[in-house]
Amino acid sequence: MVRFPAGMRRAAVAAVAALTLTSLAACGDSSDPAVPGAGGGKTDDLLAAAPVAAAADIPAGSTMAKIKERGELLVGGSLDAPLLSQENPVSGEIEGLDADFGRLLAKYIIGEPKVKIVNAASETREALISNGTVDVVLQTYSITPERAEKVAFAGPYYSSGLVVATKADETGIKTPADLNGKTVIAGANTPAIPAIEKAAPDAKIVTFGSDPECVQALKQGRGVAYVQDQAVLLATAKQDTSIKIQGEPFTSDPYGIGLKHDDEQFKKFVNDWLRKIQESGLWAKVWKNSIGTVVEGEAPEPPAIGSVPGS
Amino acid sequence: MNVITDHLSEFGDGLLLTVELTLLALAGALVAGVAVAAMRVSPVRVLRAAGMAYVETLQNIPLLVWLVIAVFGLPEIGVMAGLFTSAVVVIALYQGAYMAEAIRSGINAVPAGQGEAARALGLTFVQSLRLVVLPQALRTAIQPLGTIAIMTLMNTAMAAAVGVVELTATANRVNLAEARPIYIFVTAGLLYMALSAVFGLVTGALERKLAILR
Repeated sequence: MVRFPAGMRRAAVAAVAALTLTSLAACGDSSDPAVPGAGGGKTDDLLAAAPVAAAADIPAGSTMAKIKERGELLVGGSLDAPLLSQENPVSGEIEGLDADFGRLLAKYIIGEPKVKIVNAASETREALISNGTVDVVLQTYSITPERAEKVAFAGPYYSSGLVVATKADETGIKTPADLNGKTVIAGANTPAIPAIEKAAPDAKIVTFGSDPECVQALKQGRGVAYVQDQAVLLATAKQDTSIKIQGEPFTSDPYGIGLKHDDEQFKKFVNDWLRKIQESGLWAKVWKNSIGTVVEGEAPEPPAIGSVPGS
Repeated sequence: MNVITDHLSEFGDGLLLTVELTLLALAGALVAGVAVAAMRVSPVRVLRAAGMAYVETLQNIPLLVWLVIAVFGLPEIGVMAGLFTSAVVVIALYQGAYMAEAIRSGINAVPAGQGEAARALGLTFVQSLRLVVLPQALRTAIQPLGTIAIMTLMNTAMAAAVGVVELTATANRVNLAEARPIYIFVTAGLLYMALSAVFGLVTGALERKLAILR
């Protein structure tokens, strides 16, 4: 695939924007073949329809004003989370739900979807926010009251949950309680660990650093099941038919946008933006564009802003 | 400080596993180190080459890569050991390469006359190595061996990446629940420091007791 210079790409985005504005009401699903570096096509449609904050919403001296002045939104995120925030090795674009929300927020503040992703790890997110390395964290960041003492959470913007995956021929595990007495694989530093301890106190938990390692360990039989976030596992199970997902999510895991603690102004601003994109239907389109590509059916109802302790 | 006191038993378990991992790996590394150092100074060319190949291979590939190979690679060819066992074996073999080099430097520090005298008295190569050269070599190399012991302790943290819940993995898990990275990781760091201080003290005491003054 050919990479076009930024100027040409921007011109093309503008062209698609004009096209889409006319056709959006009729069919939101325009994947114009004229889009250069296609694949980003749907994301470009989303961005074209995305709102931009009124000047009055960005008072001088606020966090938003500083971001606007810089011309770039610094987002703490991942480059290796399928469907959520994954770098496409061909186009170099970062694709997925979290990545799209980052671009939409950047457009809302700056007027252009200019985002710089700072690769964050689950151990470093609080530090990156509090020392100002990133403006926001968009990285499957589950809202918990403990974390909310360190950072502020806008949202929740998405509600996921943990599911149990096993080898495809496994029949003995239908519910999380069936994991009692068995060895269960989980990602290190994921909420799966406390959730397994709660749902199946007698399960033995083995943790590995990354999702591919956990999948490999499951296939090699280091555990009978792998508990992970639904969005992550759906992508894996789709690619790899030797594992399958058993049942529906057994937890509710609200993702928030991590912001600097005590910056109420910015938090309200981000929450207002989230409400806007939820009401305009843009939220559902972002979902369709990422998680909706592997989950059948319509987009779920977005979670209510501020509905979770800690948000 | 509640974040620490609430999780004392977890930290205790993690610390214990780190100590077990370190001591078992050290024991293995010392055996491997002595064997490989002996190979590297032996009169048999094939053994010397094998010893050198061992050291170069083990030292020039990072420990984490070895751990991932052992945990995720070997099962692909039908060799599957437990996570703790795999970690012990890999760390022992890896640190064994460093031990071998430290011991070899000790062997080279033993005056050539010692070995020659031993052979002149009719000892075989193995006997002269075991009874004359190695005892002096090990006593000379106590300080570098102590440093490698501390390095082994620090390297056990790598086992956290392959599912062994030692001290670092424990700190990660506690932090996941509590989101207090500074307290938690500083505590883990202090525990590592305390352990390595013990190693340092033991090394110092051994050196004062056994050092050969030349």
